[in-house]
Amino acid sequence: MRSQTLAAQRCLARGTFAFLALTLGSPQQSEAKEVDFAREVLPILSNKCFVCHGPDAKKEDDLRLDSYQGATEDRDGLRAIDPDNPEDSELILRIHDADDPMPPKDADKQLTSDEREILSRWAKQGGKYAKHWSFVTPVRKNPSAVPEDTKTEHPIDRFVKAKLIEKLGEKADLATMSDRATLARRAALTLTGLPPDPAVLASFLSDETTTAYPRYLETLMESPRYGEHQARYWLDAVRYGDTHGLHLDNKRGIYPYRDWVVRAFNKNLPLDEFIIWQLAGDLLPEATLEQKVATGFVRMNPSTAEGGAIPAEFQCKNNFDRTETIGTVLLGMTMSCARCHTHKYDPITQTEYYQLLAFFNSTSESPMDGNKYEYGPVMKAPADQVAWNEWEHLTSQNEALLKELAALKAIPIADTEKPQWKELSRREQLNRVADPKGPFKESALHPKATELKTLFAESEKRFTSTLVAQELGEPRPTQVLVRGEYNQPTGDPVEPGIPSVMGSLPADAPLNRLGLAQWLVSPENPLVARVLVNRIWQRVYGDAIVRSPEDFGLQGKQPTHPELLDWLALELQESEWNLRHILRLMLTSQTFMQQSNQRADLPEDPENLWYARGPSYRLDAEVIRDMSLWSSGLLDDHMGGEGVKPYQPAGLWKALMHPGSNTKNYVADKGSKAYRRSLYVYWKRTSPHPMMTLFDAPDRESSCVRRSRTNTSLQSLGLLNETQRVEMARKLAERLVTEATDDDSRMDLLFTLVASRPPRDAERTACDHLLEQMLHRYRSSEDDALALLSTGEIARNPDLEPAEVAAWTQISITVLASDIALLLN
Amino acid sequence: MEHHDYQLSMTRRQLFGRSALGLGTAAMAQMLPSELQSAQGRADLNGGIHHKATAKRVIYLFMSGGPSHIDTWDYKPKMRDMFGQDLPEHIRDGQRVTGMTAGQKTHPVCPSKYEFTKHPNNEDGLWASELLSKTGKVAKELCVVNSTFTEAINHDPAITYIQTGSQIPGRPSLGAWLSYGLGTMNEDLPGYIVMHAKTSFPEQSLFNRLWGPGFLPAEHQGVLLRSEGDPVLYLSNPKGTSRKDRRAQLDTLAALNRSQHEQSLDPQTLARIKQHEMAFRMQASVPELMDLTTESDKTFELYGEEARKAGTFAACCLNARRLAERGVRNIQIFHRGWDAHGSLPREHESQCRDIDQACYALITDLKQRGMLDETLVVWGGEFGRTSYCQGGLTKENYGRDHHPRCFTTWMAGGGVKPGITYGRSDDYGYNIANPDGTPMRPKPEMEKWTPGTMHIHDRNATILHLLGIDHRRLTYRYQGRDFRLTDIDGHVIKDIIS
Repeated sequence: MRSQTLAAQRCLARGTFAFLALTLGSPQQSEAKEVDFAREVLPILSNKCFVCHGPDAKKEDDLRLDSYQGATEDRDGLRAIDPDNPEDSELILRIHDADDPMPPKDADKQLTSDEREILSRWAKQGGKYAKHWSFVTPVRKNPSAVPEDTKTEHPIDRFVKAKLIEKLGEKADLATMSDRATLARRAALTLTGLPPDPAVLASFLSDETTTAYPRYLETLMESPRYGEHQARYWLDAVRYGDTHGLHLDNKRGIYPYRDWVVRAFNKNLPLDEFIIWQLAGDLLPEATLEQKVATGFVRMNPSTAEGGAIPAEFQCKNNFDRTETIGTVLLGMTMSCARCHTHKYDPITQTEYYQLLAFFNSTSESPMDGNKYEYGPVMKAPADQVAWNEWEHLTSQNEALLKELAALKAIPIADTEKPQWKELSRREQLNRVADPKGPFKESALHPKATELKTLFAESEKRFTSTLVAQELGEPRPTQVLVRGEYNQPTGDPVEPGIPSVMGSLPADAPLNRLGLAQWLVSPENPLVARVLVNRIWQRVYGDAIVRSPEDFGLQGKQPTHPELLDWLALELQESEWNLRHILRLMLTSQTFMQQSNQRADLPEDPENLWYARGPSYRLDAEVIRDMSLWSSGLLDDHMGGEGVKPYQPAGLWKALMHPGSNTKNYVADKGSKAYRRSLYVYWKRTSPHPMMTLFDAPDRESSCVRRSRTNTSLQSLGLLNETQRVEMARKLAERLVTEATDDDSRMDLLFTLVASRPPRDAERTACDHLLEQMLHRYRSSEDDALALLSTGEIARNPDLEPAEVAAWTQISITVLASDIALLLN
Repeated sequence: MEHHDYQLSMTRRQLFGRSALGLGTAAMAQMLPSELQSAQGRADLNGGIHHKATAKRVIYLFMSGGPSHIDTWDYKPKMRDMFGQDLPEHIRDGQRVTGMTAGQKTHPVCPSKYEFTKHPNNEDGLWASELLSKTGKVAKELCVVNSTFTEAINHDPAITYIQTGSQIPGRPSLGAWLSYGLGTMNEDLPGYIVMHAKTSFPEQSLFNRLWGPGFLPAEHQGVLLRSEGDPVLYLSNPKGTSRKDRRAQLDTLAALNRSQHEQSLDPQTLARIKQHEMAFRMQASVPELMDLTTESDKTFELYGEEARKAGTFAACCLNARRLAERGVRNIQIFHRGWDAHGSLPREHESQCRDIDQACYALITDLKQRGMLDETLVVWGGEFGRTSYCQGGLTKENYGRDHHPRCFTTWMAGGGVKPGITYGRSDDYGYNIANPDGTPMRPKPEMEKWTPGTMHIHDRNATILHLLGIDHRRLTYRYQGRDFRLTDIDGHVIKDIIS
């Protein structure tokens, strides 16, 4: 312990976040209280000690505090942890030693007195080690008993209430239920990213039966808008973009993948299959079109074809990116440290990093994209959801036909040919049946097959290309790279493998992406279900249980509700990875349904760590835009297809782009495409649409599992001045003027659309006042009214009075920019 | 000051700042580091956060594409005798080259065709090529570093590296780090402004990530000040909407938000009212900023008539001075077109025409106004260019490939030693050299720094230092790691600091 080495300071992680203990429970416990190693001690060791005494300690004789064995090792008669005489543990002496303290006086991170107390207590209790919590497979503990009514209460609420009382005292309780209109809006925004339709809202509000709310949720989840909204979070995580990302940032053909993701959510594809298909759909037996399209996930890394770039270098960079994305998205682990050296905090060795990387090192695409839209391997897939539906319909017809064929026992093929028949794909079998010269030409099914074949051919005309993963015949060998340098491989090739701290691959698992995928979703995997369910929680409640959703490692945040997280993770697994089941559970909890106002009676929890109030947060960029599109009636509900281009200030791309780039000119779409949901807005990775980035959308060059929620003056300018927002507001104004006859009912309709409720008195007064001013102003200057109403491409309704529509336009802009619209609450 | 204390004081500051918004102080006391979004420069540290800043602001002139140091600042007369001969093997010494010249059979030495003049500085003079003779006139203010180096050999990784500290996208940019670290001094303008200057050779791409926030909160991203359309995106009111109309709208908006706040007690709603008001002020302050008619004829004599044309590099430099006057701390101008693979003379002559007088004018102007002492001006690209020719070599025309191992950048003002050169290259401008001219091979490492060299991490560390920031302590925790701009490296080059 006295031999602190300089070498160990290399991967610096300086800065002080010494306050974890403060926010996660008071350490001022009595001596006797048993220390929880994983939750109390390990974070301190990791944050304060591992910089020198961690998994990457360089010399063999360095003290290591990341294992019991290391800590209890006899070192010249001293032991950091002395199991025989715990009171005499050297660790206790040194952390209290004024002259020769640990950490050393000049260390960036010093222990707090609370931390010293915890470490001492731990050492005195024998210094037992345990695994970091996230590496232990989840255990289902029943919700802690809350007095009274445990049977009828919602399991989530039982966990949450127990924790509330533990943290905030007996007086603490969940808030009262939100009114039903607020709840309806909250649920609709959570599930579909849009407010409830006024008619749906009215019918829900008038139905006071106990099943009204669950049925309302089902209706929302059945809406195609549901899949679009849920897909968006996943697309952030996997860094979906419509361009290659690097250098020329040329167009990339991969939107069928995006459309497949939407379909997967709309069909409630179990999340384990959702993951397997994306990682290894191509390796599944008789892989279907969908399964192959899903492997676009593997191809999502940004790529380059910059002149002079060295392919071997980018082969490595592409793989780093994939490996680290898997770390973030599925394992909740920072892998990037281990690219250059054994991880300083988390027990992941450099070799293990390259073993994980090896799973991705044998895909067949070139390391350089050639600036090509069809950066192979590609395949043809339906170009939008209409084409997907059609293809799916034909596929099921084909299945029915082949089934019928089998039932007829009319396969007129010699026995010897039967294995060959089985080797044919379903489509090839159809083609055989339809073959006018083939063995089935006399069959009763032949005409139907012929027709089906033609329909397939028609349908495939509406296919487009999409990037997919394909495995090389011979795996490409992978070596550890010194300091992550592509030209410094060292040692023998490593086998694909997983970090041992997370378990081990089954003996019979294939050593390829499929083996990896199957392990990821196996019950033995301690991380994936937790990581996923944590992010589902985050999108329902606004913040996650582990508030560092990208990091479940030793340096990450501890879960605020560990038992609840485990319970939900197991619930996800045991429900056969049923996302809707989990969402139903969450949305029917009082934790979700309670009022979201800040609690004057409980000021101790401004971050709402303990959920004494319901979710409340500023909506995402896409939802802000979609809500306005929808309320104005402009929203084009066409699903899928190539990214769309709404208005964008001129010259933004050109100012950045190489003259050789095919994305240097932004040509806004005309007509309905400009009014699609924001999910479909063209995502140029080096310059996404400014109305997206202004409101914290990521660039999608790297994985994002948690967006920031900033609040800036530039957002105000965008909300009030952007062309499409003004256009939406004036169409909304026309709608108000047309659908309602007097100003009061127009105001009611406006608020019903945006806030799912009529205006409060103060709101109505403020808006009426503005309306009066604007009516007066535009009636005295019709030119200004007409100018305002000429913003955007869509013509104004000439039957309406310009001044009145202009005035209502300004009201609409204002209300849509207010927190009434911008917040989920 | 210990980092601990720093964090606490920031928290307290933020706490008081927020408690004014209506939530009780007791509640705020719980809002510890997870809520800590950014710091703010301290008056007692001249705007710095860890130590006293010598520079209050930075104007960063980014030459995208990689200017040829050999044709601008790094005078290599001996190369003339070697015209057309193959670059000696011991000079190249295994340096990896890009795929564009890796296949060339020879790597002929390509001296600069330009005349160099020695300009008096505070040492024994600064050699500058005729292409930058005007900038040469402020040699007494410049600190020219002839030993800058990087590892990346292609534009995208190299520019991403120098701007974010990593060759792979995803990290915050230098400007975002500064915004995060220093905050803003002007309530009516964004704290971090980016301009794109016009060029005759709009080659090489720029990317949002170069001024992007990476994993920092998105408010730290650079704000584009544009020469086309609205100078700041969405600045203008819609047609048929007057400033008075907007005022009325904002009053209603504030009333709606206050009503919302009465229900929710959410302090963010009140914060948003403030942002709407700031936007309203910006609608006045930005046009005022962009209105150059208030500048005297003398200004345009200094910057040149080009400065009257929106979007030229000269106009951007003039804007930069105006921004600096208005308290904007963090200004970056990107000038593309330096990637001269084939016709270097034609391209570099044009590029240098764009910038030469403007650089001279900016430094002179700042100096005259007494602002140079507290304004750090930084000039450079993502790498240099090779001393051997790419493609056909004649006395009159040649091209140069990318060269990471040794190139020239300069700084001025803001506490940098004026009128010096730092570091040197070998006789070919190929390697960083020892004082005796023999090549050296510095490697960027945490514990070792080779005197006389400036890795791009060292450069960034030095920039932060001048602004009162310890590059090792300006960190942000993401994915369990406390990230910083200089990754795991970086040394403040004390030798160039006054």
